[in-house]
Amino acid sequence: MLKAEHIRKTYNAGKKVALDDFSIHVPKASIYGLLGPNGAGKTSFIRIINQITQADSGEIRINGQPLNPDHIKDIGYMPEERGLYKNMTVGDQLLYFGELKGMKKNDALQEAKKWFDKLHIDQWWKKKLSELSKGMAQKIQFVVTVLHRPHLLILDEPFSGFDPVNANLIKDQIIDLKNNGTTIILSTHRMESVEEMCDYVALINNSKKIIDGRVFDVREKFKKNIFGITLSDVDHSKLESFQSRYEVFNLANENNLLSFDLRNEADQNHILLDLVNVGKVRSFDEKIPSMNEVFINAVSNNS
Amino acid sequence: MNHIFLITKREFLTQVKKKSFIILTLLAPLLLIGFGSVIGLMFKANESHSIIEVVDKNGLFKNHLKSTDQLKYVFVPTADEKAKMNTLKNNESLDGILILPELQNGNYEQLLSNTRLVINNKIGFDTKQKIVTDINEVIKKEKIKKLGIAENQLDNLDKGFTLKTINVSENNKEDSDLAFGVKSVLSMLLMYVTFMFIIIYGVRVMRSVLEEKNNRVVEIIISSVKPFELMMGKILGVTLVALTQFVVWITMSVIGALVLNTGFSSIPKNMPGGNEAMMSKFDILQMGTQISHSLLELNFPLIIFVFIIFFLLGYIFYSSIYAAIGSAVDNETETQQFTLFAVLPLMVGMYGSFTFMNNPDGPLGFWLSIIPFTSPVAMIARIPYGVPAWQIALSIVLLLGTTIFMIFLAGKIYRVGILMYGNKATLKEIWKWIRG
Repeated sequence: MLKAEHIRKTYNAGKKVALDDFSIHVPKASIYGLLGPNGAGKTSFIRIINQITQADSGEIRINGQPLNPDHIKDIGYMPEERGLYKNMTVGDQLLYFGELKGMKKNDALQEAKKWFDKLHIDQWWKKKLSELSKGMAQKIQFVVTVLHRPHLLILDEPFSGFDPVNANLIKDQIIDLKNNGTTIILSTHRMESVEEMCDYVALINNSKKIIDGRVFDVREKFKKNIFGITLSDVDHSKLESFQSRYEVFNLANENNLLSFDLRNEADQNHILLDLVNVGKVRSFDEKIPSMNEVFINAVSNNS
Repeated sequence: MNHIFLITKREFLTQVKKKSFIILTLLAPLLLIGFGSVIGLMFKANESHSIIEVVDKNGLFKNHLKSTDQLKYVFVPTADEKAKMNTLKNNESLDGILILPELQNGNYEQLLSNTRLVINNKIGFDTKQKIVTDINEVIKKEKIKKLGIAENQLDNLDKGFTLKTINVSENNKEDSDLAFGVKSVLSMLLMYVTFMFIIIYGVRVMRSVLEEKNNRVVEIIISSVKPFELMMGKILGVTLVALTQFVVWITMSVIGALVLNTGFSSIPKNMPGGNEAMMSKFDILQMGTQISHSLLELNFPLIIFVFIIFFLLGYIFYSSIYAAIGSAVDNETETQQFTLFAVLPLMVGMYGSFTFMNNPDGPLGFWLSIIPFTSPVAMIARIPYGVPAWQIALSIVLLLGTTIFMIFLAGKIYRVGILMYGNKATLKEIWKWIRG
C-alpha cells in the first residue's frame, strides 16, 4: 500500500536531521506501528506523507503511484496536536471537514450519521464543542478523521489523552476498519499501548530505522530463550542436580511456590521432563520480550 | 479555489453568527450617538449662567452691555449699591456686582482702573473675560464717537472679505473656502474609516489565526488544504464580515438620516459660536445648498473607485501581516511587540494626512500617498482634493505589487509558524522561515 524509500529530512538548513535513509513498507489492510521515543522522527515522517512538509530526498509511493496531492483525499490524519473549533456545532464541524476533504455535503451528512449511530452519540449533533466533555470531543475527533472513508489512516499518538474506556472503544473501531480493508499507521512512543494491535512495526531512534517487520518476527528475533517456571512440592535434592545442569536465576520462594527463570537453547520438552522430577509444574512459559524490551535491546545492539 | 471558498464561508458564518458581532453591529451606531450626546451634554452642563448686577454710575453702559444666554447683566439703581453689597454674600441667585464708577474729565483709563467686580463665589475665567471684552467694546465706541466718527462709518471700516480662488486645472472652477472645508471633512472621514477598519479587522484576522493554533485544529486543516489557502480564506472571510458590518451601518445611517431629516433645520441652531441668533433660516438653507453643491462638484466615481481599491488593497496588505503575526506567536499577549510593526506605518500615514489640510499636493502628501505602507490611508485622505492620475496609477501599481509580495512573505511565515507550538518566534527565526 505505502512504500517509503530512503527518505531524508533535515531542518534548520541541514543542521538537524529528522529522518535519515528511512525506508518502510506498509502492506494493505494492516496496522503498522511506528514506534520510537519522542523526537525520533515519527511525526516528521507522518507530515511528509500528509504533504504538510516535503522530504529532502527519497520517494514515497502509495499503491505504486508517487505521492501527489490527489492522495490527500484518501488519507485520514489525526495529528498529535489536535483539536476542533470550540464555537462550532458538532454537525457543522463534521460537514466542514468532510467538504474540505472533497466530500459532497449530503455524502458527508450520511457518513457522519452512520458513525454517530455506531458510537451512540447521535444526540450531540447540534451541540457546540465547548459544551462537550473531553472524552466526547475525542470521539468527535476520531469521526472527523475517518469521515471521508480514507484508505490510509494515520494516527499520531492515537490514545494520548483518551481515557481507558474511550481508548478501547476506538481500538475496536480501528481493528474493524482494518478488517474492512483500511491500512492504518499508528505512531507512538508508548509502545505497550499498541503492541497487541499492530501487525507490523518499525522501531525508530535518532532519525534512523532500527528494525522493522512483523511483530511476531521482531519479537522472535530478540527473544533470549528464557523460560519462566513455577513449581510446588519441590524435592530440594533433585533441585540441586537440576541447577547444576541448567542456567537458573531469579530464584524466589513464596507461599511454598518456587519460581525461577531459566536460559536454555535446547528442546523445551527436555527441560519439562527434567522438571517433572523436581516438583509439580505449576507454570512454564517462554519469556517473549515486550516491544519496550525489544526497543532497548535493539538500540543497544545498534550503538 | 474550492478550499478557499469553504474556508471563507466558515470564517464568515462563524464570525457573523457570534452574539458579540450581532450586538456590536446593531448597537455601535446607537452607542456612538449616545456617546456623542453625553459629551455634548457634558459641555452644556459645564456652561455657566451668570447673573451680574451692574451699578452704572454714569448711565454710560446702559443699553450697551448686552446680555447673552451665559451672562446676564441686570442694571440696578446706584442708590441700591450699599444694600445690594450687604446681601450679596447670602444671595445665591446672584453671582456678582459690577461697579462702574463715574467718568471724570473724560478719563476712560481711570474709569477702567476703578471698575470693580464684587463676587460672592468663584467666577469662571470665560465669564470674566466676556465682561472685560464687553466693557472694552463700549469704551472703544465711546472713544471713537469722541473722535467724531459715526457708528455706521465705523461698521464700514470693519468689513472683511473672502479671497476668491479660481483653479485653472479644474475648468476655472471657483474653489471657495466652504468647498475646501467640505473636502477636508470628507478626506478626514474616509481616511479615519479606512484606518479604523484596517486595524480592527486586521486584528480580527490575527485572532482567528491564533484561535486555530490554540485549538490545535490547524494541523488537521492543513492536512487537507494548503496553508496559503487557509490564510487567504481567512482574510477573505473577515473581509466579508467587515463589508457586512459596513453595509448594515450605512443602511442604518441612511434610515436614521431619513427619519431625522424633518428635524434637520433645527440642528445648526445649537452650534456654539455666539452669533447664531443672527443667522436666519435662509442662511442655513443657503449653506446647506452650498455644501451639497460642493459635494456634488466632487468627482465621486473617482473617489469611490480610489477608496475601494486602496481600502481593499490596504486591508489585505495589513491583514496578511496580522495573519503572519498570529501564526508566529502562541497567545495574544505575545502579539503586542509584533503588532507595532503593523500599526506604526498606519499611524504615520494618518497623522501625516492631517497636514494635507494645509497643502494636499505638498511633498509629504506626495510621498505618503505613494509609499505602499502609508498609501492606503494617505491616498484616501488626498483624493477628495484631487490627485493627478499618474500618481494614483503609480500608487496603485506599487501597492498592488507590495501587497502580493506581502501575501507571499506572510504565507511563508504562516506555513512554518502555525505548526510551532509552545515557543514564541524571534525576529531572527522568522527571517529564517522566510528564507527557508
